Amino acid sequence: MDYPSDSALLARLLAGEEKAFRELVATYQGAMRAVAFAIVGSRNADEVVQDAWLAVVRNLDGFQGRSSLKTWLLTITANTAKTRLKHNRREVLLDDLPGPHGTIGDERFAADGHWLLAPHAWHQDSPDALLTAAELRECLEKTLGSLSELQGSVLQLREREGLELDEICNLLQVSLSNVRVLLHRARLKVFATLEHFEETGQC
Amino acid sequence: MLSCKELVAHSSDLLDGRLSLRQRLAVRAHLAMCLRCRRFIKQMRLSQAVLRQLPQAPIAELDALAAKLAELRRQQR
Repeated sequence: MDYPSDSALLARLLAGEEKAFRELVATYQGAMRAVAFAIVGSRNADEVVQDAWLAVVRNLDGFQGRSSLKTWLLTITANTAKTRLKHNRREVLLDDLPGPHGTIGDERFAADGHWLLAPHAWHQDSPDALLTAAELRECLEKTLGSLSELQGSVLQLREREGLELDEICNLLQVSLSNVRVLLHRARLKVFATLEHFEETGQC
Repeated sequence: MLSCKELVAHSSDLLDGRLSLRQRLAVRAHLAMCLRCRRFIKQMRLSQAVLRQLPQAPIAELDALAAKLAELRRQQR
């Protein structure tokens, strides 16, 4: 097997060890949910994840270790979601929903492209220090909640789950250029939220 | 010469290591001279780190699901 860190867990899964399944779900369900969310939307995402887990157990013997366990799980999830979707695949929405704190848009720049309203220094410069403010956490949740399902999933898969852009394209069947646009706009909205909080102390 | 606005437009590609050599050189030259854009990129990286560390909601019914999947697996053997 090319992914040695997976093989120990796999052996325990094959043996039907409950703790191993707990570990598997705890580690990967977040990413699986993001994939399902992006493809079928919030209403059916949980059902797709449940179905995907059943498919995972059914196919465990066939897992060859040619990809990482994570890639395999996410591929099964994407396939489950696409089957569910059948023919009514949604258009990829590149229209940007407005974030609660806006973004870094044209109004921040002068006509010559220089900053008109440049970012100020922030009071905190470590993630831990920033996240001690409960209000900021809520504020970020609000911003994440304002993203479209696809955009929120792309952001989560990239920033929290550490997937490569190519993997995200393949799983969600979105072109690389679209993934880059979605990701960039999402990041700017997160940035604007932090900036707003640092400048005003409120959400 | 890259403008600040263009630098911001390239910022995600910079974070993802997706700039071409030519773009990378242009971005580097701009950042060497522009404190405001250096600060912007630093804050973008910080935003990424914050997002990574944002606590995730616990998974509902984790134990029940794990028990069910393990049981299914044992039935298959």
